[in-house]
Amino acid sequence: MDVLLAILSQFGLYGLLTLGIAIVFAALRVVNLAHCDFAMIGAYAAATLTGFAFSWRVVLVLAATVPLLVLIERALLRRSLADGLGSMLVTWGVGMALRQIAEVAFGATPRSVAAPVTGTVALFGTQGPAYRLICALVAVVVVGLVLLAAYRTRWGLTLRAVADNPAMAGLLGTDPHRLRTTAFIVGGLLAVLAGALYSPTLAVSPSMGFSLLVPTFFALLFSRPGSLATAALAALGVSALAVLLRTWLSDVVADALFYVVVIGIAAVRSRPALRRFVSWSRRFVVRSA
Amino acid sequence: MVPPFRRPVCVIAALTLFSATGCAGAAISASGGGDAGGPLKIGVIVPLTGPIAQSGTALRQGFELGVAKVNNAGGVGGKQVEFVVVDDAGDPANSTQLARRLIQQDKVTALFGTITGDTAEAVAKVSDDSKIPFFTAILGDPEQCRAYQWGFGESTRQLLAPMVPPLLQKYGKRVAIVGSDYNYPHIYAGLAKDFTTANGGTVVAEEYSPLGQTDWQPVIARLKDAKPDVLLSMVVGADAIAFSQQAQQFGLLTGKLGFEGAPLDSDYHPALSALTTGRHHAVRWADGMTDPASRQFVDGYRAKYQWRAPIPEVAGSAYFGVQFVLAAAAKTGNDPVALNREIGTFQYDSPLGTGTHFAQANHILQADMVDAVITPEDYAVAAKFGPVADTVPRTGC
Repeated sequence: MDVLLAILSQFGLYGLLTLGIAIVFAALRVVNLAHCDFAMIGAYAAATLTGFAFSWRVVLVLAATVPLLVLIERALLRRSLADGLGSMLVTWGVGMALRQIAEVAFGATPRSVAAPVTGTVALFGTQGPAYRLICALVAVVVVGLVLLAAYRTRWGLTLRAVADNPAMAGLLGTDPHRLRTTAFIVGGLLAVLAGALYSPTLAVSPSMGFSLLVPTFFALLFSRPGSLATAALAALGVSALAVLLRTWLSDVVADALFYVVVIGIAAVRSRPALRRFVSWSRRFVVRSA
Repeated sequence: MVPPFRRPVCVIAALTLFSATGCAGAAISASGGGDAGGPLKIGVIVPLTGPIAQSGTALRQGFELGVAKVNNAGGVGGKQVEFVVVDDAGDPANSTQLARRLIQQDKVTALFGTITGDTAEAVAKVSDDSKIPFFTAILGDPEQCRAYQWGFGESTRQLLAPMVPPLLQKYGKRVAIVGSDYNYPHIYAGLAKDFTTANGGTVVAEEYSPLGQTDWQPVIARLKDAKPDVLLSMVVGADAIAFSQQAQQFGLLTGKLGFEGAPLDSDYHPALSALTTGRHHAVRWADGMTDPASRQFVDGYRAKYQWRAPIPEVAGSAYFGVQFVLAAAAKTGNDPVALNREIGTFQYDSPLGTGTHFAQANHILQADMVDAVITPEDYAVAAKFGPVADTVPRTGC
């Protein structure tokens, strides 16, 4: 049971981050390499705005980050949309700039955040930190709400339409600029929320986003572009793989094996025969549906 | 003409390049030519940017105050001591390049500084080749003893020898060891095992995790299953904070568990003082020491740098270490080889101990250790262990 709780906790963090980066990728076709640095912003807000209650710190940083996200999307990403690699490099630069700003403002020494809820809870006979469970549940609920919005609202329909065929969506009256800005805000805010929510379990430092980027990137790699449900499933898979390997093996071996498994899956998925098989088998799914 | 959509990319790329290098290699102080009859000049190589900038800055500040004290007393040989500070950003490639530049262009008589083991090793190679003495102030054991390298920080043996017996006596004999997965924590664990068994204890768990770990739950679960009485931790950097916090949240780090290691260092005090207050930590120098020289340093450091947190130990080691070097240089002048020879036999009294000197067999400073108790404000001295010897021979010396 404690393994399931560990997977749930990891999924809460990776799920928010992966869903955010997947939304941005769907709308902008950009792998946002600064995505997890937005989580760093959320964590620093939780560490520094100690005059406010923890929940207010989360609300304040979410509100305060919106103008920054709009600025980044409009000033830096909109003009380089024609060049995917250029946009990705821009986001890499944004991440570097954010880390440097954090280092200048707060110093390089890592900080900690006191958990707003202390103590342990017993769940199915397993004792675990209460806050870890609460923030995992909050994160999972947010992931669920975002998926609901993606598959049950007009905004979600438009997002998926743009992800599938941006030219056609534009011809049918969708304002691509507006959608891209909205998607960048929503995706960025999910990262900020992840950073703020999980800050009591992490060390808050300028480079903390970098540690989170690798698993998030792997989860994005395993998801289908534009399909947020597969992004959430991929985040769950990455979380489960990481936790299970580290439960059965030593951390050092598990870490190495994690990369071997992930790269192996990516290599197998890229085989043309497998892609053709998946494409062929989808016909039956569609017909039966 | 740069295409419009590429302009932001170019700007960001330029900013990225600038920030990535962190202006590495930039000389902070003005440098002048040094010669046999000129003032003594020391090259200081420290990371002032990057993830370990805090420790590098503390070392530089302690060093500056140490030189200022000597200069205020008349300098060395009637001349003011000069120094050149350069930023290696914690990158060994920069350290090598900067050490060469300080020796060849700035004509320094000695080198001082570095924080991480790999940058110290990079500078030590250059100093050995050039026959220029090089002094470090951070704790730990260099992989190889070198003729021109001397360390003012405590060795791992000096760190563990006085602290393991009282920990085992107070908390129990079952010891667990946890560390980040790189060279030094493995060395620390090897010696910790020796000291544990020598004092009648048993190592019940040994765990390592790659640097950058965010989730420590599986490691903590294994440590808890081993039911240790004492936890020795060499988890470093931001991981030290994540590990300690999660260990407390999962009920491993309680008042019943003895806890010693890197997370108790003053570097982590701002983040972990809530967890470490009241615990005991073996150090060479603590800002709570009450002798007049330490008080003068602490007051000067707090006033000059507007410092309110506990003063890092590395700053104290640099402050008293550079005074040791300059006292030896008063006998030899600017000749690096003569200075290096003098350092090998020199004895110096300071708050680090009476008659502190380097062991010929390993170039480790033979000095006192103290038992510091962590408070919200400082590291108060609970007891003095006195001189703690480490004369175990090391290859290369």
